[in-house]
Amino acid sequence: MTESILAPLWISCKTVLTTTVITFFLGIAAARWMAHYSSKWKSLIDGIFILPLVLPPTVVGFGLLLLFGKNGPLGEFFSWFNTTIVFSWPATVIAAVVMTFPLMYMSARAGFEQVDINVENAARTLGASEWRVFWTVTMPMAWPSVVAATVLTLARALGEFGATLMIAGNIPGKTATIPVAIYFDIQAGHNDRALILVGIVLVISFVSLAVLAYWKRKMPRTTGFLVSE
Amino acid sequence: MLEVRIKKSLPGFNLDVNFSINQEILAILGPSGSGKTMTLQCIAGLIQPDKGYIKLNDKVLLDSAKGIKLKPRVRRVGFVFQNYALFPHLTVEDNIAYGINHLPKDEVKTRVSELMAKTHIAGLGSRFPRQLSAGQQQRVSLARALAPEPELLLLDEPFSALDSQVKERLELELMNLQNYYKGNILFVTHDLTEGYKIASKIAVYESGRVVQCDYKNKVIGSPANRTVARLTGVRNIMQGTIESIKGSTARVMVPELGGKLKITKDDVANFTVNQIVTIGIRPEYIHIVDHPGENTFLCKADRIVEGVSLINCFFYASNKNTERHWIEVSLHKAHAPLITEGHECYVYLPPEHIVIIKD
Repeated sequence: MTESILAPLWISCKTVLTTTVITFFLGIAAARWMAHYSSKWKSLIDGIFILPLVLPPTVVGFGLLLLFGKNGPLGEFFSWFNTTIVFSWPATVIAAVVMTFPLMYMSARAGFEQVDINVENAARTLGASEWRVFWTVTMPMAWPSVVAATVLTLARALGEFGATLMIAGNIPGKTATIPVAIYFDIQAGHNDRALILVGIVLVISFVSLAVLAYWKRKMPRTTGFLVSE
Repeated sequence: MLEVRIKKSLPGFNLDVNFSINQEILAILGPSGSGKTMTLQCIAGLIQPDKGYIKLNDKVLLDSAKGIKLKPRVRRVGFVFQNYALFPHLTVEDNIAYGINHLPKDEVKTRVSELMAKTHIAGLGSRFPRQLSAGQQQRVSLARALAPEPELLLLDEPFSALDSQVKERLELELMNLQNYYKGNILFVTHDLTEGYKIASKIAVYESGRVVQCDYKNKVIGSPANRTVARLTGVRNIMQGTIESIKGSTARVMVPELGGKLKITKDDVANFTVNQIVTIGIRPEYIHIVDHPGENTFLCKADRIVEGVSLINCFFYASNKNTERHWIEVSLHKAHAPLITEGHECYVYLPPEHIVIIKD
């Protein structure tokens, strides 16, 4: 019993952490690129980036299944390396990354666009490269938005169900994350096990919200929130 | 040495400017929206002009014909932004050190404290920008721009957000800047007195063009056109016809005043008899006298506005001419004769203080 409780917890932890790291960098890179990009395609690209947020998760999951399935373009690509993505642990990460990307992208972009262009320009006239401007000026100034987005990403990754079920399935000890395990436990009448998992999710969610609230309250007073180089 | 020739078209606005300075302070004067800030941004490389050539000392920063376009970070141009644009998350010290922290640590430290002393912000090093007054933020911004020893310093309306006392102190400090910064300085302003105090040259902007760029006394003494005259505080502008020219003295018939006006200016030789010209005089140069005479006209006070130290009187010339405008006279309270509205008196326009403009 303890083993079957710990397995979904362990899988979810791995998935959530890996997803958050990947989404963090992907979302920030896309946000930074779009904040400076101007072309007639801008709103189209923006729409594609945000699409997973408005589509039903099962639709996104089905799309991923087509992409990564045996005959899908990416599925064929991975089959060259004798790897199958569908119904494996990496599939839980892929589903969660796709579903959380819009959150990270939107908040980070809003944060970057709020940064006074004059402040970034001041850094440029002082001899800073674009890379240095981004990491020493833009990021620290957009930091509150980025942190909030990261917490949202974490929470959303933990709760991801629909797309994960479609592409990763429910393989106990392999792909069954907490939300998927809860669903199948209830289906099978194991309400007690489901309840323990629900309790775990509640604790994790509550703690992360509390940490965010504490940090938000503390933040305005500790201005040097990102240590300068 | 700074040479600037730039062109940029935007919907509804064209910037087309051309000027050069040689290790001096140039004030760019003009109304808002005349392209002053855009000029600074082009020089710093923050925006790209469509066409142009910018050379700073021996370095070509931009040459659109040859495809040269240096990045802002290698131009060595210091920029003090209108809103100061300090890094809000860095302390004053780290703000100033931002442009020089490739240098050894102790060198950075000495340079930062030196600059903080020069800009009168010593002791504020560990504060964050939002803990500073506007005047202190402005000083930090200046120190930060000076730290990497730029070859050119650009100041965008440096005093616009300050109250008048702080502004006056900072103006004085900026004048002292030349004691420790030997480079070109370009500063944008819409305030003539500010520009005149600090700069040696003034470039007058009007809708994206430089209408006059010269030494400040030349710009004040012989404005190139009505716009320059108006922008530089020549409030009384009238039309007239030249009747005679002898040496440096011209006599101009001014219908609005109902009489002839004597003008003594070295540049009257550039004009011809019967030419229609615009003449102007600053309100502070006009006197009230108690007897008729040359360049003296009987006028009726129409409106009197009392300021703290000056009294501004708006007169109408007492004649039958219907096309008349107010003649504005600024008098020092201490020696102003008692004038009330409706009062008639003699107004004297000194011939050496009248400017004469071609158009």
